[in-house]
Amino acid sequence: MTMDTQTFSYIFELIKIIMKSGDMRKDIEKFFILLREQFVFDNVAVYIEDELTNTLEIVHARAVGRAKHAEADAAWGETFAGHVFSKGKLQIQEPESGVAIDNRLQQAYLLGIPLRANGKVNGALVFVRFGGPAYEDGHISVASVGAQLLSIMLERTSWKETHGELNKLKQQMQLQNDFVSTISHELRTPLGFIKGYSTSLLRKDTSWDQETQNEFLTIIDEEADRLSLLIENVLESARLQSRTLPLRFQALRVDAVLRDVVTRIRSRYKDLDVSLDANPTPPIQGDGVRIAQVFENLFTNAIKYAPGAPVIIILQQVGQNLLVSFMDRGPGIPQESLHLIFERFYRVRSDKAAGTGLGLYICKQIIEAHRGKIWAESPPQQGTTFFIELPIN
Amino acid sequence: MAKRILIVDDEPRYLRLLEANLRTEGYEVVTAQDGAQAVDVFSNQPIDLVLMDVMMPKLDGFGATQRIREFSAIPIIILTAKGDEQDRVRGLDLGADDYLVKPFSATELLARVRAVLRRAQPPGGDVGGQSRFFTHDNLKIDFARAEVWKGELPISLSATEYRLLLQFAHHVGKIMSSEELLTSVWGPEYRTDKEILWVSIARLRQKLEDDAHSPKHIVTRSGLGYLMPPIEE
Repeated sequence: MTMDTQTFSYIFELIKIIMKSGDMRKDIEKFFILLREQFVFDNVAVYIEDELTNTLEIVHARAVGRAKHAEADAAWGETFAGHVFSKGKLQIQEPESGVAIDNRLQQAYLLGIPLRANGKVNGALVFVRFGGPAYEDGHISVASVGAQLLSIMLERTSWKETHGELNKLKQQMQLQNDFVSTISHELRTPLGFIKGYSTSLLRKDTSWDQETQNEFLTIIDEEADRLSLLIENVLESARLQSRTLPLRFQALRVDAVLRDVVTRIRSRYKDLDVSLDANPTPPIQGDGVRIAQVFENLFTNAIKYAPGAPVIIILQQVGQNLLVSFMDRGPGIPQESLHLIFERFYRVRSDKAAGTGLGLYICKQIIEAHRGKIWAESPPQQGTTFFIELPIN
Repeated sequence: MAKRILIVDDEPRYLRLLEANLRTEGYEVVTAQDGAQAVDVFSNQPIDLVLMDVMMPKLDGFGATQRIREFSAIPIIILTAKGDEQDRVRGLDLGADDYLVKPFSATELLARVRAVLRRAQPPGGDVGGQSRFFTHDNLKIDFARAEVWKGELPISLSATEYRLLLQFAHHVGKIMSSEELLTSVWGPEYRTDKEILWVSIARLRQKLEDDAHSPKHIVTRSGLGYLMPPIEE
């Protein structure tokens, strides 16, 4: 048998639909509309096996002909689909003779074709004609080609889904691996200084002058502090991440929190020039300890990276949000680092024992747990401003 | 004369630690804070040994080691915070002479430096490095920056093309078989894949030769292989 051009281009059009990678539901719809040009039916239903329960689930059903308005009353071949599925063979079921000819909806001609994936029957495609005509060989061939193509389409879709899930899993594992390798590097760095400088002092073949000894001992001391802070911060940020650090939300006056923090900071750093402009604002729902922690962290950074520079804090209400601007007139943050400073373990390298690279990351986690936003701006020669936006409701 | 050691690390406290200890042993010390800076410092003054950290911005320690190895046999010790086997093997394969896993003790560091310097000492005296630049007629290669010029014109090569060109530049006058070139540039599993070599040589000639049909830099020796012929004075 040779295929005529018309049949060839018809099958080609069907294949084009199944090879599309768009919205599967829309593609199935288009596929049946096109199939119906060569193979007439009133209802069509696609059943696929649910692997967990081993029962057939309906995944697509359309009434396109005589039963368009019959809603749930017309036949959809549910039981019949079960036979097709369990036998794994094409089945035909015609109405018993003697049923009233005047109601066509009572006269369902069913054609069922098994669907396969991976060489295994995994569902059934059921066509219904109300009041005939009976299915002839030519029709059955077209419907069988349709069922094969539909199987391919469904299998492709399930592969795509699996592929997407695997990719997501892979990304998660990558993040996990990166985290483990970064953390071991971060922990090893202070440990490396402690080991290196202490073994230097212990060298028997050389003697260090008093000044150098003090320098090395100071480094050892600072690095030991950094190591313990690092461990503390890692635990805290992991708890924030996994939401096991309980936040105590209650009505909170941010202006009062700011005044408390500024008072504490002023008593600790007598020379620091701090000005606070905070009129009373409506309360937010927040955890006072954590919000205070964020401001203290910003102070620590300002003292570390902008030593001697005045700090200006302004609290204002902007629409349904509170906006805190935390400004210093220090050397600023390089533009290329600005988008990285809230990342876990990112820190600007400096000669001093810098922080853990977790401070701003923890600030961000706390603010986001309050459904707020934190960001920084640092125009050249104008210092740095951190902005914190917190919703009032 | 005092040996001069280049130390490369992005942590100022590591630089200080290494420098303080090395100076007590009478070494001269120069420093660099990333791999790119290291290659630059290295190619501008005589250096006897490099102590190279791995995790650094811009060019990491592995990349810098590889770059330096393209034109010099200088002893290199890699300092790594990653102690796993894969990393140590990678460092050694790229041409490092030794590695030291952080944290390390000051005395062990100094012992490794002495050992590597002793091994590197040629019987005659000086540690001889190769030149940073290579020229072949109007073709010029800067190994330190991995840059290629044809006369005054900078040529942009793919990573594979550059590695292929290095094979010729490192073996001027020697006929290299297809198998040899494929193995060293693409890896042993490609050694029979002659067509990719043909395409790559054709593309390299398009970029480097004045007339790709009568090449001066990469010449075919039918049935034997390819070579970069020696330039007659």
